[in-house]
Amino acid sequence: MSAALANQPPLRARADGISIRDVQMVYRRGVQTTTALAGCNLEIPAGSWVSLIGASGCGKSTLLRILSDIVQPTSGQALLGGLTPTEARAERRFALVSQHAVMLPWRKVLANVELGLEVARVPKAERRRRAEEAIEMVGLRGFERAYPSELSGGMRQRAAIARALTLKPAYLLMDEPFGALDELLRDRLNFELLRILEETKATLLLVTHSISEAIILSDKVVVMSPRPGRITQEIDIDFGHNRSPAIRDDPRFGRLESELRHALGHSMGDEHH
Amino acid sequence: MKQLAALVLPPVILLGTTIALWGWMSAQGMIPNYLLPSPGKLAGALVGDRSVLLRHGLATTEEALSGYVIGSVLGLLAAVVLSFSRRLRACFFPLALATQAIPIIAVTPLIVLVMGRGMPAILTLVSITAFFPMLINMTRGLRVADRGYHELLHSLSASRLQRLAIVELPGAFPYLFAALRVAATACFINAIVGEWIGSNIGLGYLVVISGQYFKMPTLWAAIVVTAALTLILVGIVAVMERVMTPWAATEHGS
Ligand SMILES: Nc1ncnc2c1ncn2[C@@H]1O[C@H](COP(=O)(O)OP(=O)(O)OP(=O)(O)O)[C@@H](O)[C@H]1O
Ligand SMILES: [Mg+2]
Repeated sequence: MSAALANQPPLRARADGISIRDVQMVYRRGVQTTTALAGCNLEIPAGSWVSLIGASGCGKSTLLRILSDIVQPTSGQALLGGLTPTEARAERRFALVSQHAVMLPWRKVLANVELGLEVARVPKAERRRRAEEAIEMVGLRGFERAYPSELSGGMRQRAAIARALTLKPAYLLMDEPFGALDELLRDRLNFELLRILEETKATLLLVTHSISEAIILSDKVVVMSPRPGRITQEIDIDFGHNRSPAIRDDPRFGRLESELRHALGHSMGDEHH
Repeated sequence: MKQLAALVLPPVILLGTTIALWGWMSAQGMIPNYLLPSPGKLAGALVGDRSVLLRHGLATTEEALSGYVIGSVLGLLAAVVLSFSRRLRACFFPLALATQAIPIIAVTPLIVLVMGRGMPAILTLVSITAFFPMLINMTRGLRVADRGYHELLHSLSASRLQRLAIVELPGAFPYLFAALRVAATACFINAIVGEWIGSNIGLGYLVVISGQYFKMPTLWAAIVVTAALTLILVGIVAVMERVMTPWAATEHGS
């Protein structure tokens, strides 16, 4: 093996995981330009869990929107399992839970959760079964026939999560999916999500504003800073998989929390001073 | 039930008062009978001329309803076609808007001249008047859906047709029904305007003939029937909208 190859991340990770290389994103609106991302690099091995954390406006959503083929980066390349976002989307390899839990107001919860399967032309009976299973998982049993306008913000978020879960994606891209939930429910869904991830071996890229949630749900927390958006630090969380709520009591948990808080403070401090 | 009474009672009271006043003024000789017959005479004409009214009413209903349906469906299809191409939209939409400035009464003689007197001409006329409101409304309506809905469907890798069926069409329902309401109020009137000069049958024809022979009660009876038919159609459309957009009721917390 040549030295150049040895320096690269492990081959398996590059082939199956998420790979973000020199991604730059400049939004143009008239004469005004915003550099949302300035040269980001990130490797996420297949089956691992990564959180993005950072101040508002540092480009977290932009990164997810690039990976889900909603916007194209100004330069650089994003790959999911070796596929470009466009190819990965065509093969339905990922599911996106966007920051604003999007629900079609004219569809009941059940039909909204079934949407992804319906678009993928999955037969009705299986669609129904998988949607009901996902609804059960996020604790929305009994609301299948409600319209989104009859749900609370947190319930809509859970419905959006259920819709993503029905797809059994290889890559789960979630943008602050638990933001509108109370602590208890958040905790329950965090561990429910971990259980599903272990079962499906999916790769998770999660945006969150909660330090403890980032620790619970990640093998690696990526800290970003704004203007221009970039990655300032990557912190490994070595709890392994098969986590239980007891990890909160682990002495390492507190240490990681303060380390992360420190890193976040730094990334914001950079901006102000 | 209480809500229904609150909805129906006020206009019924107003209508009753108006009819009573009108009857009283007729009896006092304050309204010339050759212009507006008394309520009694009008009611008499509604009953006495019922077979004539039925025959002409059916002809008008047939023209108005077929024109309404044909025009609305074609308008919807045209809007869907335009929604697929920005360039087509740029060509056709301003012209579609411009047609709204042309009074229907001005086009009628032309249509009758081209198509000859009779049903096809009236049907064409009514279709045209239903077509444009639908085209204009739906061209806007198909584009109002939230960008987030499109991004969702995009991330799910939906096809263009799926996007149309799942996001754009349901999102345009308020516009669809607005167009259906506009055309519903207009289609009987337009059919009658067409019949004035373009037909030997229909309520419009009956109005003209009754006027010529000074059969004022019959003329007014024809007008009452037209109004009633329009109200029925508008009512049906309103019920259809309620049934087909059940989520709208939940959005306003009712
Ligand atoms: N469509 C757009 N057009 C122009 N600028 C944009 C657009 N989307 C995002 N931006 C800009 O890009 C930067 C990053 O936005 P982004 O939504 O990715 O931030 P974020 O990290 O997700 O923030 P938050 O935590 O508040 O959700 C911001 O400065 C924002 O103003
Ligand atoms: Mg965001």
